[in-house]
Amino acid sequence: MSFLAKYFPNAVTMKGDFIQATGETLYMTAITAIVAGVIGMAIGIGLIVTQPGGILENRVIYNILDKIVNLCRSIPFVILLAVIAPLTRIIVGTAIGTTAAIVPLVIGSAPFYARQIQNALAEVDRGVIEAAESVGSGPIAIIFRVYLKEGLADIIRSSVLTLISLIDLTAMAGAIGGGGLGNLAINVGYSRFESDVTIMAMLIILVIVFAIQLIGDLLARHVDHTA
Amino acid sequence: MTNEAIIQLKDIDVTFHNKGQTVEAVKKVSLTVNRGDIYGVVGYSGAGKSTLVRVINRLQRPTAGSVEVNGQDILNLSSRDLRTARTKIGMIFQHFNLMASRTIADNVGYPLKGRLSHENRKKKVAHLLDLVGLSEKAEDYPAQLSGGQKQRVAIARALANDPEILISDEATSALDPKTTSSILALLKRLNKELGLTVVLITHEMEAVKEICNKVAVMEDGKIIERGDLVSIFSRPQKPLTQDFINTATQINQALEKIFRQADSLNLSESQQLVQLQYVGASTDAPLITELYKRYGVVSNILYGNVEILQDTPLGNLIVVMSGEPDKLAAAWQYCQDAGINITHLNPNDTEVA
Repeated sequence: MSFLAKYFPNAVTMKGDFIQATGETLYMTAITAIVAGVIGMAIGIGLIVTQPGGILENRVIYNILDKIVNLCRSIPFVILLAVIAPLTRIIVGTAIGTTAAIVPLVIGSAPFYARQIQNALAEVDRGVIEAAESVGSGPIAIIFRVYLKEGLADIIRSSVLTLISLIDLTAMAGAIGGGGLGNLAINVGYSRFESDVTIMAMLIILVIVFAIQLIGDLLARHVDHTA
Repeated sequence: MTNEAIIQLKDIDVTFHNKGQTVEAVKKVSLTVNRGDIYGVVGYSGAGKSTLVRVINRLQRPTAGSVEVNGQDILNLSSRDLRTARTKIGMIFQHFNLMASRTIADNVGYPLKGRLSHENRKKKVAHLLDLVGLSEKAEDYPAQLSGGQKQRVAIARALANDPEILISDEATSALDPKTTSSILALLKRLNKELGLTVVLITHEMEAVKEICNKVAVMEDGKIIERGDLVSIFSRPQKPLTQDFINTATQINQALEKIFRQADSLNLSESQQLVQLQYVGASTDAPLITELYKRYGVVSNILYGNVEILQDTPLGNLIVVMSGEPDKLAAAWQYCQDAGINITHLNPNDTEVA
């Protein structure tokens, strides 16, 4: 404890704040991951099956999804936070706070995840899809039993990547009023010149990121039978 | 073998449009395959053979023409009925197309998911793996198998729905000769034991030679020659067909060697290099002796080969015949009368016949 007291004089006195901030960061990350995960997965699958040569080829739907994803991904997240504040207010009743941060987080990360899923599923061998079609599989069976099954290892890797970038976004959302470790690092640590608080917040984020990376790698290796 | 048509393709056109370019992959092709046939479709890559057979299960929709399989008009089926029809048309591929994330047993059982109970599926998969001789690999993953084993798994998967037709799209092209033979033998066995009709796409006439009873040769989107195996092999009409056959019977290689040392052959006026080709019963006659006895023509055999196609022997000899010019002519006439095909070869002509 003397080590912490020596190098993190301010941080040690804020144990409660850190626990609360970590909880907020995990809460924002988890809820966003679930909502953006479902939306991103659906859009990613939609892109794959409707793309030219896909199992449900549809130029119109593909182009619409493609444009939406590109558009959302083009807006810098900090600006997105401000721009969609009115929408956030409609959905959650307020534009400030941890729950309110989830709306821009979802919009910021779902398109990113959709692209990741699209890329992961694009790796599934077209010949395997064809083999499934040749034994009489329909689109739903092909999506769930071939695409998602064959692409699982890549999907896990993409999900890890998305989760990590999502934590990055929560820090940004936190800094402008969403709470969490980002808020603590910037609005307490940086603004009050208590840089040990900033560093402690950063270290906690690093631990979370490494944990996600480690678990993801283990899972991906477990389901990967290609070699 | 009955004469009941199981696959009838009529006037099939397949045209691809890509970036302003139009490619006619298949042009006005008709093809009838009878129940129990092993029908070979040969051609070089790009000839349109894969595109043509993919029309059979509508993996490729033709631009024009009609497709009838088992009495069903495939082109007018709803997508639900098409899926049902596809279960009766198995297909195997050059690159096996197995699912890397599933075990061998799961790959074979995949087509049965949602159709059979777990218990029945297990039984069926065990039976199918036994049929292709891979029972002990059930819990392995495809990455642990050799190419030949992967293709056996693919065959077991293709048979899961008890199809009546099996389409083999270059299924042996990625395999070594020995493995190719064993896969072909398996297809032949399935044809005999299950009455499976096989459509075999390949660029190797050797494969056709081993198991097919009928063959069609494709070039540039069209079938240029077709017929039963023996007549195509004994009387090929088109240069491409001859080329395929000469490669399969290794005559091309033999000719190449002979021509390479054409100088050392040193043919005189009274000598002629000829290729003799004979089918069926005429392979039994002691031809060479007969030519000597009757005409005093001496034949020096440079290369000889007998193929057994559909239980019919097909022989090929490359010989140098020596004798008086008029005797030689009489000897050739004798050969022709005996139903032997004679081709005169010019050793100075480097272009292989």
